[in-house]
Amino acid sequence: MRKAVYIILFSVLILNIAVSAPQSASKSGPQAASPASGWDLLRKIVLIPGLSSQEGKVSDFIQAALPSSLKVQRDAKSNVWFTVGEGKPHILFVAHLDELGFLVDKITPQGTVLLRARGGLLPQTCEARPFVIHTAKGPVEGVIQPKPDYYQSQTAAAAPSRTPAVVPAQNPAPPASTTAPVPAQKPPQAAAQPAPKPTPAQAKAPVQAPAKPQGQAPAAAAEPVELYLGCSSEQEVRALGVAEGDQVLFKKRLVDLAPDIMATRAVDDRAGCAALLAAALRLDWTKIKTKTVTFAWDVEEETGLNGAQLLAKTLKPDYVFAIDTFVSTDSPLENKRFGNAILGKGAVLRSIDTSNVTPKTEIRKVAKIAEGRKILIQIRNSRGGNDGSVFVADGAADIPLSWAGAYAHSFIEKIVKSDLEALTDLIAALVEEWK
Amino acid sequence: MKKRNVMWIWSAGLLLVFGAAAASPIDIKDLIREAVSIPSALGNEEALGTKILSYLPKGAAERDNLGSVYVRFGSGGSKIALLAPLDEYGWFVSGITPDGYLRLDRSAQPHPNFDNYLLGHPIVISTQKGLLYGVVSQPAMHLITRERREELRNLSLDLVYVDIGARSGEDARQKGIEFLDPVTLWPELSALANDRWAGLSLGQKSSCALLLGLAEELGKANLSQEVVLSWMAQSKYPTRSGGARSSLGAIRAKRTIQPKLAIIVDGVPADRGEKSPALGKGPVLILPKEGAAKLKDAVEAVAREAKISLQYQTGAESALLNGLNGEGTEALMLAIPVKFAQTPSEVVDLKDVLALKTLLLQLLQSGRVK
Repeated sequence: MRKAVYIILFSVLILNIAVSAPQSASKSGPQAASPASGWDLLRKIVLIPGLSSQEGKVSDFIQAALPSSLKVQRDAKSNVWFTVGEGKPHILFVAHLDELGFLVDKITPQGTVLLRARGGLLPQTCEARPFVIHTAKGPVEGVIQPKPDYYQSQTAAAAPSRTPAVVPAQNPAPPASTTAPVPAQKPPQAAAQPAPKPTPAQAKAPVQAPAKPQGQAPAAAAEPVELYLGCSSEQEVRALGVAEGDQVLFKKRLVDLAPDIMATRAVDDRAGCAALLAAALRLDWTKIKTKTVTFAWDVEEETGLNGAQLLAKTLKPDYVFAIDTFVSTDSPLENKRFGNAILGKGAVLRSIDTSNVTPKTEIRKVAKIAEGRKILIQIRNSRGGNDGSVFVADGAADIPLSWAGAYAHSFIEKIVKSDLEALTDLIAALVEEWK
Repeated sequence: MKKRNVMWIWSAGLLLVFGAAAASPIDIKDLIREAVSIPSALGNEEALGTKILSYLPKGAAERDNLGSVYVRFGSGGSKIALLAPLDEYGWFVSGITPDGYLRLDRSAQPHPNFDNYLLGHPIVISTQKGLLYGVVSQPAMHLITRERREELRNLSLDLVYVDIGARSGEDARQKGIEFLDPVTLWPELSALANDRWAGLSLGQKSSCALLLGLAEELGKANLSQEVVLSWMAQSKYPTRSGGARSSLGAIRAKRTIQPKLAIIVDGVPADRGEKSPALGKGPVLILPKEGAAKLKDAVEAVAREAKISLQYQTGAESALLNGLNGEGTEALMLAIPVKFAQTPSEVVDLKDVLALKTLLLQLLQSGRVK
């Protein structure tokens, strides 16, 4: 009890100090506002829900962060952009706002939710993981149901059941795979367990991922995806505010591997958004007079470059710098023959990807500007497409810029702070020097 | 009134509020949250054990060299033990590659597919310098080949590389990594509808929290017998004796406590078909193959009086029960139903947890198990 009183008194003391502190600071005058860093912006923007076709909240963030003097425009799809200056060349920088996830497809009578994929994730990495439905009433948490036989080996799952046996949750189950130590005296209990019947939803036809747009990552294998919310009826689910079409995203968290290395979902392409925004906030736009510069944050890249296609109807740039992930092979399970941009070694120019080839003349121009500013840059080839390719048919040169990103389209997309800073520096340098 | 005076009055109000809160019972939800947040991989339960000890009355609590924690209340009568596992499933660092990735091995696994949960997700490493976070490498989806995709369906630890942001083995060691450092999955906790929670090792962690909540109540209770609560370390190691497989932690606890009666509190898989216990339908009574009839009768009588629904599981093979029951000890298990058991998102119904806590408290106070 005495301990509790001490804790409370200490808390009160701390509270009063905390309340008094801002008053003292304000007497010494306002502190100068520091420019927003791309890294800090990324750590905020990456957590905002923005499934492909539902990017409105991310667009809001971008729009609110930009000064009104830049006269930001927004279309019905929530593409956001501003244009400064006039004359030739017209340079467009574009990053995409959308992320991968699921849509609520159907609410079952049993109180689960069937999901439809929007973009490709590795299906088994979604199993038994927490996801959030972003409803009109607010976030609702759920778990993607594991396969009915998730606790059985493939051999055991196929075996006919005989004697029901139960293994308490925290009790050691006899190993049933060749990778575990094998006890001699007993057969695997798991093998004797009856295979559960699939739920009604699992018995239905698989939920199909949308068709893979040209140049995009391969879509997830079609498997039924069902979300458990703790409900037992459709009415209970609807009472939570869940409705068909709501976006369903992985429950994100920032994993700091080091103070300057982070892994999380949706670094693709919120890092591009953050770099573009940081550059926009840093640049002195009054100096841009003899050329036209447009910064755009567009929608629906992951599901068909739809946002870019809408922008391309009105914007006719001479050069487009798509700011998007470089799919790096700087990780243990990748083939190093290509995509070998090293994390921590600067920005990346995607010279060849799955959408187009950047002209060598433009590559040399970028390299020269980067060299002049002492900005680290790697010129590499990899896979994946980008929004800039949409503008090529109308005469633009597509020069995709990036950072080296490991584990693309996973829940642990990895990025290094200095790479994002180099990318931001490069964007700012190109705005100022590109001719 | 001056702003500063207002603040002092506000603070005095807070003092009253927090003072009242300090005297109120510990919220079992807070204990569960805390337990989930502390990794306790099999064989490395020290941090969770230390946290549990911090809640227990000094002098009455102790820890043995296996890592198990014990606390005693009351005296006389038939000695009864209530035991929960302290350990959760995990892995340990079995090597560091020259380019700074960690290799893993497992000590025990709950089912053949448990390693699959590593792929493409964050993990926690308990190091000499504190908790360190890593992610388990997966191929980029843009680059993955059909062959690799097939290989990853049944993930072998041969393909598991933990990325901690290190560039060399020396870099990894400087971060505090050592051989045998325990590794667990990310301790996620989510609140679902209808008082259901989903989280890592939630059955086991809820059992630990339940026993801790019970300890607080027993400290205030008038007991007519000796009650020993134990949080068992290394409970998931089965011994390799000639007879039935028994839990190492359970055997150690039995020899240390030497109870006449024992009740194991743990999670049990739920919603796995028609014969399986169901989530939200009350605690599950699991009996050993022989014995424990009197204890069973007492539990059922108290459950009836308290109007707590019981579910039954028969024919179970439990290493924990095998370790406790027999040779002078009558043991049974009262379990919390767990949906998606042995996945990263075990689901429990808090109503089941609270019902079990009430049942155990009333059982100890009833005098029926003297």
